[in-house]
Amino acid sequence: MFYHYKNVIDEGDLVLVFISRTTIKPIYVKKGEILNTRYGHYLHDKMIGLKFGTQMPGEKGYGFIHLLHPTPELWTLSLPHRTQIVYTPDSSYILQRLNAKCGSRIIEAGTGSGSFTHAFARTVGLKGKVFSFEFHEPRYLEAKKEFEEHNLKNTIITHRDVCNDGFNIDMEINGDIIFLDLPSPWEAIPHLNTVIANQAGICCFSPCIEQVDRTVKALEANGWVNIEMVEINVKRWEARKDMKRSVVDVINRIKSIQGKKLNNKISKEDSKNFKSSRKSLKVKEGDENFKWTEVTKLETELKSHTSYLTFANKICSLNIQ
Amino acid sequence: MTDNIEIGQYVLIRLPSEGVRIFKLQENGRIGLGKFGSFDVSSILGFPLGTAFEIINDHKVKPIHSISELNIDEETDTNIQKQELTKFFSSSAENNQNIIDIGSKIQALTNEDIEELKTSGATSNIGQVIIEKMIAGHEGFDKKTIFSQQKYLKRKQQKFLRRFIVEYLGSSQLLESFLEKDHSKTFDLSIETLGLMMSYGNVKPGGRYLVVDETGGILTYALLERMGYEGTIVFVHENEHANLAALKYCNRSNEIDNIVKPINWLQFAEPENEREKWEDKTEEEVRKLKHPESYHRRRERVLKTNEVIDLIEEANFDGFFAISTLYLPEIFELIIPKIGGSRPIVIYNQFKENLMEIQSLLNKDNRVLAPMLIETRARPYQTIPGRMHPVMTMKSGGGYVFYGTRVFPSESIQAVGKGVKRRRVNNETASPEGTPELKKEKEEKIESTPEVIMES
Ligand SMILES: C[S@@+](CC[C@H](N)C(=O)[O-])C[C@H]1O[C@@H](n2cnc3c(N)ncnc32)[C@H](O)[C@@H]1O
Repeated sequence: MFYHYKNVIDEGDLVLVFISRTTIKPIYVKKGEILNTRYGHYLHDKMIGLKFGTQMPGEKGYGFIHLLHPTPELWTLSLPHRTQIVYTPDSSYILQRLNAKCGSRIIEAGTGSGSFTHAFARTVGLKGKVFSFEFHEPRYLEAKKEFEEHNLKNTIITHRDVCNDGFNIDMEINGDIIFLDLPSPWEAIPHLNTVIANQAGICCFSPCIEQVDRTVKALEANGWVNIEMVEINVKRWEARKDMKRSVVDVINRIKSIQGKKLNNKISKEDSKNFKSSRKSLKVKEGDENFKWTEVTKLETELKSHTSYLTFANKICSLNIQ
Repeated sequence: MTDNIEIGQYVLIRLPSEGVRIFKLQENGRIGLGKFGSFDVSSILGFPLGTAFEIINDHKVKPIHSISELNIDEETDTNIQKQELTKFFSSSAENNQNIIDIGSKIQALTNEDIEELKTSGATSNIGQVIIEKMIAGHEGFDKKTIFSQQKYLKRKQQKFLRRFIVEYLGSSQLLESFLEKDHSKTFDLSIETLGLMMSYGNVKPGGRYLVVDETGGILTYALLERMGYEGTIVFVHENEHANLAALKYCNRSNEIDNIVKPINWLQFAEPENEREKWEDKTEEEVRKLKHPESYHRRRERVLKTNEVIDLIEEANFDGFFAISTLYLPEIFELIIPKIGGSRPIVIYNQFKENLMEIQSLLNKDNRVLAPMLIETRARPYQTIPGRMHPVMTMKSGGGYVFYGTRVFPSESIQAVGKGVKRRRVNNETASPEGTPELKKEKEEKIESTPEVIMES
């Protein structure tokens, strides 16, 4: 399902249930089961035959969910975290910058929670291959099971400490894109020489600048060139409306209040104006009875640093060191 | 795709001064790089794309390790030289107070000096030789701090080293060269933003996409790379012919016609009127025609148009992508129904305000789930061990991306939503608006449910 879209939900399908922007729950549709959420419960039986993308009402007549088709990007938001993961702003840049595309051959270590693995697998497609390595056994087993359940046919995961034992497996790897997300990439880099294609690009993903330092030195020592580190900054904006509060209205209101104090009578009309200006907070944003400016606001939770991305290239046949 | 440099190919040439240029490799061609010199195409053929070269004499080149290193020769004496130079710089570290302007001294090196050096055969060393010569003739030089000396060295080197890289010309590289020449052509689109569009758009081999691309085809090129030149792109455009100039660089032009299907906005908006009637003539009839070629041409064109119209009517696209200066809210009614369930809608604009309008509009449209407005910027660093810091100047811009997911709202939920809303409205009461609010209530209902949920 990560390689092709399906239109209709069948039994056994992985469905990403969109409950809210912060809650996306992966389920496998199975006859007889019930999905319980804070917003009602939902019968799997009724999901079968619905189109992906359907908004489904709760059994008790309240609440709803959306039944979404899995994508690597939604999976990233819904997967069970076993480690820190790579998010879409970083992974999308790495894919584009390293020219990942149909047919690319990826080497990834460590697998971690498999977040990026899915994006790689989708992007390189069935003509490509993803070789992922993880040394932590329970994590390796979890990921292996998950990739099988998700039918990631182009992905091969190996239980291995790549820093000590390298990347060689019983298969030709010939990787042209390498992604290292582990604490000491500089220990893994020397082992790459035997498994990379003649032309290869690498990205090492490390949160600390000291790690970048050591990584750059290791890359240089192993014949990698065009070394450049970048950082991705991402912001999410929200469309909002800000009330246009008129000074003229304020002046008129003051006038009328003063007038009323004199006359001791407040009309209904006046009290409405009064509310609109003073208690603008009570008015629903965008209320058609008021004037608004269209504005944007940064979404409150901001990931301001994930990791540094160190890129480099290597051409093996010209290994002049 | 071939991985080696070949005749007939378009390639990107990257210069040490960080400029890039595009060239087509012609048989017996010679490529001029201005002050960097020129070289024969034949001398780079067969090397892997990505190889760095240095121009030696007689328009010949030799492959080198990297364009940025101080010295590329393997001989030990140059290594020693390099070490010496490094040591020299290290021992001369002092604080900035002692930096003096050596600009004039550099100028003291005459053009003839430089020319002489350039043609002296020591081309691979030229930058270094020049630098050494300048250092030798200048006492104040060691008063500069290491930092400024290195910067200075790098600048000088860039000026004199006749090195370049021949790269694969992918969508990222093509965009890079557009950005350098005229970024308004591509509306400030950056590589990171293009990448974000590809990922949020879940672009994959063999996909089937509805695309508006006014960049001349950069977006389309990126899609094609990801699709592996398989699948379908319905390309909606506003002129007589689609502008896909960028695709000529992809070195696969013959495959593109089967994948990229242009259609103009009129055909897109009114497919039922624009479908052309066609009946094949018999072979006999064709033979009798005065101009059978024009019959065949017309036949091909009509069938092509009708084929795209079929695709539009079939709808169920795997995603909608737009980089457009058109006012898109006007056509959402046409676009949204064409997108398959749970498929992405991805719109780029250089101005946040244009996407803000789209977001607030689609916030109220229950056919699009979780509309988002995202900005991404890559910040490059000076990548030298021990001296990492963000580069001092970088390109601004990069634009914004709108992303949402096409969904199918449920009729029955609308009723529930309404009920909930009404209760809430009644409880809050105080509202002066009474009842003439049917339209408004409908809007609020749509908005209310996701929002209630979001508070969790
Ligand atoms: C931060 S996680 C990777 C997350 C992953 N990129 C994702 O998006 O889900 C790092 C992983 O590398 C693994 N790891 C660390 N050192 C390793 C080594 N030498 N060999 C293999 N895996 C290693 C860790 O066990 C951990 O699961």
